Amino acid sequence: MRFIPTGLSAQELQLQREVREFVKDALPAGYRPGLGMGASRSPEFSKKLAERGWVGMAIPKQYGGHARTAVDRFIVTEELLSAGAPLGAHFVADRQTAPAIIKFGTDWQREFFIPKIVAGECWFSLGMSEPDAGSDLSSVRSAATRVEGGWLLNGTKIWTSGAHRNHYFAVLCRTSPSEDKHQGLSQLIVNLRGDGVEVRPIPFLNGAHEFNEVHMTDVFVPDEMMLGAEGSGWQQVTSELAYERSGPDRFLSTFGLVKYLIAERATGGLTPEQERAVGQLVARFWTIRQMSLSVARTIDDGGAPAVEASLVKDIGTRFEQRVIDVIRDVVEVQLDLDSNSTFEQLLAESVLTGPSFTLRGGTTEVLRSIVSKGLRNV
Amino acid sequence: MSDNTTEIRAALRAILADHSSADAVLAAEPEGWNEPLWRVLDDGGFATIAVDETIGGSGGSLADACAVLHELGRSAASIPFAEHALLAGWLLSQGGWDLPGGVLTVIDDTSGLQIEAAGAGFTLSGTANHVAWAGASTQILLAAVVDGTPTALLLSTKDVQVGGGANLAEEQRRSVAVDSITVPAERTWELPADAVEQLRLRGALSRAALIAGALERVSELTVRYTSEREQFGRPIGRFQAVQRHVVRLTEMAQQAAMATTVAALNGSDAVDFFDVASAKIVAGECASGGAAAAHQAHGAIGMTKEYELGQLSRRLWSWRDEYGHESAWARELGHRLAEAGADELWPRIAAGLLAAGPQA
Ligand SMILES: Cc1cc2nc3c(=O)[nH]c(=O)nc-3n(C[C@H](O)[C@H](O)[C@H](O)COP(=O)(O)OP(=O)(O)OC[C@H]3O[C@@H](n4cnc5c(N)ncnc54)[C@H](O)[C@@H]3O)c2cc1C
Repeated sequence: MRFIPTGLSAQELQLQREVREFVKDALPAGYRPGLGMGASRSPEFSKKLAERGWVGMAIPKQYGGHARTAVDRFIVTEELLSAGAPLGAHFVADRQTAPAIIKFGTDWQREFFIPKIVAGECWFSLGMSEPDAGSDLSSVRSAATRVEGGWLLNGTKIWTSGAHRNHYFAVLCRTSPSEDKHQGLSQLIVNLRGDGVEVRPIPFLNGAHEFNEVHMTDVFVPDEMMLGAEGSGWQQVTSELAYERSGPDRFLSTFGLVKYLIAERATGGLTPEQERAVGQLVARFWTIRQMSLSVARTIDDGGAPAVEASLVKDIGTRFEQRVIDVIRDVVEVQLDLDSNSTFEQLLAESVLTGPSFTLRGGTTEVLRSIVSKGLRNV
Repeated sequence: MSDNTTEIRAALRAILADHSSADAVLAAEPEGWNEPLWRVLDDGGFATIAVDETIGGSGGSLADACAVLHELGRSAASIPFAEHALLAGWLLSQGGWDLPGGVLTVIDDTSGLQIEAAGAGFTLSGTANHVAWAGASTQILLAAVVDGTPTALLLSTKDVQVGGGANLAEEQRRSVAVDSITVPAERTWELPADAVEQLRLRGALSRAALIAGALERVSELTVRYTSEREQFGRPIGRFQAVQRHVVRLTEMAQQAAMATTVAALNGSDAVDFFDVASAKIVAGECASGGAAAAHQAHGAIGMTKEYELGQLSRRLWSWRDEYGHESAWARELGHRLAEAGADELWPRIAAGLLAAGPQA
């Protein structure tokens, strides 16, 4: 376990300034910020970002990417998240699917999908969870059988964020029976609007439509939509989860609470309790950010900090929740989602969605198993 | 870490293994400090790391000094390095004084003292409490703003009454009473405008670095113990409830280390308030949470005086209070952030480590 502190180079600082300026211009004065990656989505915003070269940043040039580093991507992401920018449309495709296609996909898939993702025009969902397979993903029941020219897929995915708006999802499914649950799994890229695919909403706790159940009945998936080698689904999914885990999206979801507490209340003076809360929380933001950045730098330097990434996800997501508790404790307001105070809206939204932070992307409990195994193996 | 820092840490670790073993730490408790260890480190030039070579120190950066403190914290070493080098040595360098012989310490809280200008010198009376290593020192320094002028005063321990007092780890934190003595002008000097504040920040950073070192060791001990100790037919580290403690502790140790290292690396010229306040807050909170998790994972063995964990946890519980409780730093930090305004908040956080590139 090793976190090497790292700073930003002159070019990286330049990028940081550019993104800050862009965000200031792109988000109108009255813009209602959102909570981290759960912020709203705006296809126009995604496109504008893409025009600046800030989607698909770490993708090689030959596929229309920008061949930037993980740290560059980190910088853009943290600036957007800290502003509560509407990055919901392209975020998952950018963070997770594009790198997976680059790593495991065929040339055809790279040429077909990557330029669209990089343009901010092709959006993906994640097709992992099932009613009986959450933390234990290897027990997925969705299954595909071989047919002429492709696969016939049946099964049900659940908690599929954004499936009602996105174009595709990569479905983890069984392609051959196996004694060992980790064998015989594959990933198929499925068109969410295709024949046999039915997307049904599951209302989220805050009333929003985020989640979906996706039913797949005899869905024909052509051979060219198999992501990676047949039977390698498990290895692919676990490697994909590593990308998902340690970024700024894992500690910045509730940053807006601190920012808008100051924005709205500091003119009258914060109470000593509020000042203390702000101090405690900001000290931790600064520290955790430095750890998360350190993981990105290590990736750029060719390392594989999987255990460190899990540790940062656990620290970061539990911290995101602690921010809610600490802030709520020092403001004592009656929460109302329609409050005309941005701060109070965000706090209400945080209370309702906060429990999800330590679930999505791998639960606290599962991450701890990974970390403690990693610690014993040193 | 620079090569230099890495070398310092490796050399120190070997010395500390011999002179700050668990037995040596216990043996030093009645005296309230580990004098044999201090002698070895002083002879080796470690005692004045980060003190200017021009005044007789060993030279080196603030990050080097924090690396020393990290190692001292790891080995529960009760020696006056922070006060001697990082604080007193630095104050002396501000006045161009050569290092005098003997151990130096500082009074960090001057609120119990009355300091008045008297002719070209000053008179001093009152009592300062919790003065680190006062019983081991030959000279005591203090810095205060007197009549609007930041001033350093150098006292001989002969001229003060050193009373009792210790922290939870039996490290000397003595009372120092001064009965209306005169400090002649030649033992005082005017300080740069921000020196009193810089001294306060350096003190806080020293405790954060000690905490980070101690937590690293506590974390190692706990990983080892939970993989060796068996109950119900398997190592307790296989139980998820126990893993939770181990992982939380690791998280605490890593956060304290990151915060401290970044603050030290950023502080090459002047130590930054935001960085040090953050490091002290994070280290203090992690000291509490980390010690609690470690004790829970260890069971009763951790409560015995001979076992190494107790030596470290008693220090963690003490150091978090010294040079400002984390709550006090948090209130001050929060106040300043609120004054600076919401738009400054994220840029300040994202300023992070100022040196470019990884500090391997
Ligand atoms: C906001 C949000 C968005 C999501 N979006 C998507 C998406 O787009 N696509 C997708 O596929 N999934 C998505 N998920 C699902 C998410 O990945 C799962 O919720 C998560 O993996 C946990 O699975 P589960 O909910 O079935 O809980 P379970 O696995 O049933 O776990 C319940 C509890 O038991 C604990 N537990 C389970 N196994 C163990 C174990 N071995 N050791 C210790 N504790 C254990 C868990 O930690 C948890 O506390 C999303 C979830 C949320 C909250």
